[in-house]
This record gives sequence, C-alpha cells and structure tokens, in this order.
Amino acid sequence: MRILKFITVLASVICINVAFSQEDADTLISLPSVEIIDQQGRTYSVHSLERVDLELLPASDIGGAMRSIPNVSGIRKGGAVSDPVVRGFKYSQLNVQLNNGQKIEGGCPNRMDPATAHIDLDDIRSLEVIKGPFALRYGPNFGGVINMKTIRPVPQKEFKLNVGAMMGYESNWNGFKNRLSLDGGNDKVFFSLSGNLKKYGNYQDGNDNEVKSGFQKYNYTAQLGFSPFQNNYLILSYDQSYGRNVLFPSLPMDEREDDTKLFSVDYKATKISDIFSAFNAKLYLSDVSHVMDNKNRSFSDTVVAVSDIQARNYGFRLDGEFDLGLNRLVFGTDYEHILKDGTRTKTKILEPSMPSISEKLWNDAEIQNNGLFVLYSRGFGNFLLDAAVRLDFNRANSGELKLEKMGQEVYSNTDVKSSFTNFSASAGGKYRFSSKFSLSFSLGRGVRSPDMNERYIILLPIGYDNYDYLGNPKLEPEANNEADLKAILDFPEAGIIEGGIFFSYVTNFITGKLVPESVARPQTKGVYGVKQFYNEDYVFLKGFELIYESPMNKSWGARARAAYTRGVNPETTKYIIENGEVTGSEVVKNDPLPEIPPIEGTVEVFYRFSNGRFVPNLNLRMVAAQNNISESYMEDKTPGFVLLNFNLMYQFNSYLKLTAGVSNIFDKAYYEHLNRRIIGGKGNLYEPGRIFYLNLYFNI
Amino acid sequence: MKRIILILPLIFILFSCQKEKEKKVSYLITKSVSGFDVNYRTVNGEFQKENVVTASAQDRWEYDFIAEEGDIVFVSAIYKDITSAITVQIIIDGKVYKQGSSSQDTVRYVTVSGTVPYE
Repeated sequence: MRILKFITVLASVICINVAFSQEDADTLISLPSVEIIDQQGRTYSVHSLERVDLELLPASDIGGAMRSIPNVSGIRKGGAVSDPVVRGFKYSQLNVQLNNGQKIEGGCPNRMDPATAHIDLDDIRSLEVIKGPFALRYGPNFGGVINMKTIRPVPQKEFKLNVGAMMGYESNWNGFKNRLSLDGGNDKVFFSLSGNLKKYGNYQDGNDNEVKSGFQKYNYTAQLGFSPFQNNYLILSYDQSYGRNVLFPSLPMDEREDDTKLFSVDYKATKISDIFSAFNAKLYLSDVSHVMDNKNRSFSDTVVAVSDIQARNYGFRLDGEFDLGLNRLVFGTDYEHILKDGTRTKTKILEPSMPSISEKLWNDAEIQNNGLFVLYSRGFGNFLLDAAVRLDFNRANSGELKLEKMGQEVYSNTDVKSSFTNFSASAGGKYRFSSKFSLSFSLGRGVRSPDMNERYIILLPIGYDNYDYLGNPKLEPEANNEADLKAILDFPEAGIIEGGIFFSYVTNFITGKLVPESVARPQTKGVYGVKQFYNEDYVFLKGFELIYESPMNKSWGARARAAYTRGVNPETTKYIIENGEVTGSEVVKNDPLPEIPPIEGTVEVFYRFSNGRFVPNLNLRMVAAQNNISESYMEDKTPGFVLLNFNLMYQFNSYLKLTAGVSNIFDKAYYEHLNRRIIGGKGNLYEPGRIFYLNLYFNI
Repeated sequence: MKRIILILPLIFILFSCQKEKEKKVSYLITKSVSGFDVNYRTVNGEFQKENVVTASAQDRWEYDFIAEEGDIVFVSAIYKDITSAITVQIIIDGKVYKQGSSSQDTVRYVTVSGTVPYE
C-alpha cells in the first residue's frame, strides 16, 4: 500500500513535469556536502549543513539531520526529536541557538523538547556547528556551538514577489510534510511569510515491529525587514510553533501540546566608518508552553500524571567589529534570562473520589547570565592568529525546592541561590605552508554554569541510568580545557582532505552521586535510588575527525568521513544492584563516559548528469559496535551496523525540483548507541526500517 | 497563471485543518436488583453523584457523552443490598473499554476509569 502511494506521488511528479516541460532555465545547482568552512579566517573547526544538503535527507528534525556531520550524533527517545551530541558533549554543554544568539529553554526535564525541537527543519537555511570552546562570541561556550540559521528575508533591487511550496512524503511511517512560503519586497522593505506542517505516524523497524513514534507539528513564521539607509538592516521576526501528540516511547511521558512563540529583533549596520566595520544587535524572547502526560503508558491505569511547564528566555546581544589595519577586533556583550515554572498533577483514577495532587517540577526558577567578550584576529603573512576572551556573570535563584507526599515532607531545600564569575579564553593559529597544505592549532577554556536541571530538578528520573535525580543549587561551574590540531590538504585535481584531533580535559565535571535515603527517598517506581548532581574532579575526552571531498569541477564525485570520540572518567563509583536495590559500591578506574557514540565512517559516491541537474548519490554508512561502555552507568553494549542509502536530486527547471531516495535499503534492524531504551522493559529503541521518500519543491 | 493553478492545491493541503478526534463514551451500570449510588465524571469534567433506584437486575443506568482523546473517564458505584450485584462498564465507540463488577459486596466501590485512548 505504501509503495503504491509512493508510485502515485511519483506519477504526479511526472505529470507536473509535463506541464512545465516548456520551461527551461539555466540553474546552478549546489551540491550537498558537509561543507568545510576553513577559508573564513577561523582557526578552529566549523562544519555546516546547507539547505541543499538538508533537502536530500530523510530527516524530519534538526537533530536527526545533524547526524550527517562528523562527530555529531543524537540522543533519541522518540521519532520526532534527536538531541544533539557533539564530540561527546551534550545538553547544556552545547550552546544551541537560533540565528546568532536567540536561546530557547525547553519545557521537559527529560529533554523531549531541546532547543532544536522548536525549529522546523524546513525553515533552516544552514546548520552551523562550531566544535570546541573557541567561538566565545555566541554566549558561554563549553563544548561547541550549534547555530540554527533560518531562511531570512533579503532586500531586493527591484520589487519582487516569490512563492515557494514543498510537499514531501516518507513511506514506512506515512509521513507527510508541507511547506508554503511567500517572500518579497524591495530594497527598503522586505518580508517573508511561511508555514510548515508535518504529520508522521508510527514507524516500523527492520524487524517489522511498530515503534510508537508518531507526531504532528506545525508552525508559521512572519518576518519583516527594513533597510532605511544603505548598509543598515532591521529584521523583526515572529514564529509560532505547535507540537501535538509527539510520542516518546523511551520516556515516562509523551508530549501532548507544545506551543512555542519566538520573537526577535535584529539590527545590523556595516561599513560605519573606515575603522568601525560592523555593528550587530539582537533582542529576543522565547516562550515555551509544554504539556506532557503518561496517558499512553500502562501505569496511567492507576495514576494519570500531567505536567504543565512554562519556560521563557529573553535576552540580547550587542557587538561591534573594528578593522585596524591587519588587526581585527570585536567587542561585545550579551545577556540571557531563563525563567522556568511547572507543575505535575497526579490523579489517582482508581480511587472512588479520584483525588488529585500537584507537585512542583520547578518553582519559579531563574538563571541570569551577563557576558562580555573580546575577539582579536590578525594575519601575519601565511600565519593567522585568532584569540578570544569572555567573562560571564551568572546568577541563579528559585522558590523553595520542596516535595510533599500525603502531607509529609519528602524533600526541602531553601538554600537555592548561587552566583559565579566565569572566565573563558581561547587562542589559535593557522599556518599556511603552501596553497595545498595548512595546519591549525587551537587552545581553549570554556566555562559553563550549571543548568536548570542540574541546579533545581526535584526527584525525577532524567538521567541515562535508573535513578531519580536531585538538583544541587551549590554546584560549581564546569570547565572544558581543550586542544585541537587540524590539517587541511587541498589538491585541485584530487580533492580536499581535512583531518583533526582533539583532547578535552574537563574539570568540575557535573555528574550524579547516590545520596542516602535520609537526604532524599526515590519517588519513581522501580528506580534504584536518588542521585544528586555534584562536581567530580575531572574527566577527559579525545577523538578525531577525517573528511575527504572530491574536486567540485568534475562530474563524478566522492566524499568520505570518519569520526571517533572516547571519554574516560579516571575514577568513579559503580553501585552494585541486587533485587532492584543498591547493596554496595565499588571504585571503577578509567570508566568510559556514558552516551558516547562508537567510531563510524561514511562513504558517498555520486555523478552530476546534465551539468548537475540530475545527481544520484549512493551512501554507505558503517558504524562499529560500541564496547567502550560505562560500568558506573550500567550502560549496555551496542552492535555495529552497515547501512546503504540512496538519494537523488533532479532540477526540472528553475521552478521545480525533486529530491527522493531510499534510506536503509536492506531494511536492517538496528539502533544507535545513543538511543534510549524503551520504557517498560521492551528493549532498545530501534531506528526505522526501509523508507522511501520524495520531496517536491516549487518556486515561482 | 498555469503555475499558480498548479500550486493552489498545495495551499489547500497545507492549511487543511484536522478536527480533534472525538469519541462517544457511555457509562453503563447493570445487574443491580434494587439500586446503587454512582459517582461519575461528566462531559464537563465535574463529578456528579446520583442515587439510582432499580426494580430488577434487567434495569440499566446509562450516561452518554462525547469526549476527546486523552480525556479522563471515571465511574464508580456501590450498592447497599447484600443480595445484589453490579456491573460497571465504560464503552467507547460501541466497544467495551473497561469494566468491573462485584456480587454481594456492599463495602467495596466498583470503580472503572482510564483515559480515552489515542489512536
């Protein structure tokens, strides 16, 4: 039936192509790739996925799409969202932002809605990943920056109106996606309006087992730009997005309703004077209303739990760029204020009076961060120097952390205030030995203050392991001291090879430690106990990335990439579990950090027919077994797998483009190491089996 | 013009709204020979208590309403006649979703509850 639908859609495409057959236009087609952005005066690694790359992927979310960047993976708990992991760093160790500075705080303590979940993949113009603590311009940066750049309106020389539309279908989970956009304007006033709708059902894995992974999301965006004077631009942007019935089989709850509003004002002035080259300002507000419940879980037969969380961020960023001969300086400041409040209501539906109790998940918690930064770069012939310093003033507060059960106090903590001054710095150099070979070396220290969960969570099972977690308002900031070495070989006839290694020494590492029941008793059925966040002395991570891209000027093409990360905790505690209870503990030396993906490699080959109007692409992804697993987190080994994928792009004319493909051609049953286990002892969360997909892009 | 005509169906697809899934819910109580007290959750989410008198085990009490997926459904009943029995059912779209019963038990409430399942 699904194949029939696929054939029907394909037939429709052919019919539409007949309608457009009289149209013919020269079109330059950008080729998909993980772009190596090294020629922009940066000494550190920046990788990006552009719109053309994203259009070829069968991904429905940003985190899923980012898995094609080397050493970027994702923690998956359902079908709709993959929470990014970059070189083993995750959650608030990564600075995830929208359009150069807008932050979004998700509602769910179990991260069913990380920042990436609030942006539609089809609104994305470019996904930029800056690895390491080197880009200090974008807020506190511990392990890397993920910058989600959306499609923005641009000034036009003459008045212009453009209508775009997209229709997509994915077999297996019967996924439909649609997009409609209208943009235009002139050189003074320009605008864009767009809307997206995605509706996906449950998918089947390679064993033909159904995975409860369905979701529905839709959003609209309105943007209005002004350019009253030459080189001055102001853009107002408003986005409202909705998630409905987003299923997470690996979590105790599903997302029932998520309503998110994103508002921003961006101002940019360039060429202000001979010295003052640019001024950027951004003001934003992100508002998330998140409702989730356990109504699809078997335990809702006795207790129905509904959580309603409000999360809000607002802030600004200002910076000025100065060119002083060969010296380039950037001065800036930013501010972020996060507010979070939420309640869980439990209704005992088997008792005759159906009593309800409410518990605070967050009690008017807030975190404020003020930052000051200075960037400096200078070229000395073939040598480029790049340095940055950053100072952050971080303050946090909350209402009393309190949990009561049947009138009895389970936990209480009124000592909830904290403030820190964090210093981050980085310096790097790149030496171009010849036109074919350059070498970069960067050193950086990025410091981050603890996040909302780590400071204020009240007894919820939010970790990888089977414990309730308790926040610790007195946690110290965590610091990443990292060294990166990168080499680029560029041969016009053979292609580009980029290779890099990194080493991170993380001090004050934030993790969990078992606390006795006299401090806090577990509140979730089946957990082994309560872990409270604390600072461990240090851990380290190391790894490499290797990328090859064939020359762009040939019809044939190939790409290859490989990546590996290993994280080690030199000394940690493993708790011994017997009959579901902690009965003892032992010290584990050199325990691998949990949730680190195994080594993997991808090889792609493609051919550009008709000057690149038709490009088929064959992709082989090889992922090794992960046997370096954390004993202290009771992690399981994961088998390796090999996937064969195929996609193609065909540009019919300047109005119509098609992308299509088959992912997991051999219908392999597999799961990524970072996929969480399904709640209720049903085993691993398998990835989708074979998917046929087709996307049509119209542009008038 | 031809292009605009071709793109119009897309606009309709994009903005076609889907109505929330609604289900017909019935609370049904049977087999009580003389009567019972019932407490149930109404269509408005409020709790309603009633004393129902029956003449024979063939009499039935029923409350019907339209609910949305995820709504809590709840009905609880108890009887005072030790010779009686009771069967309490929640029926969703014509199919028994949950049921409970007791016989010669005047102490324990028969409570049947849940959430209207999502498709």
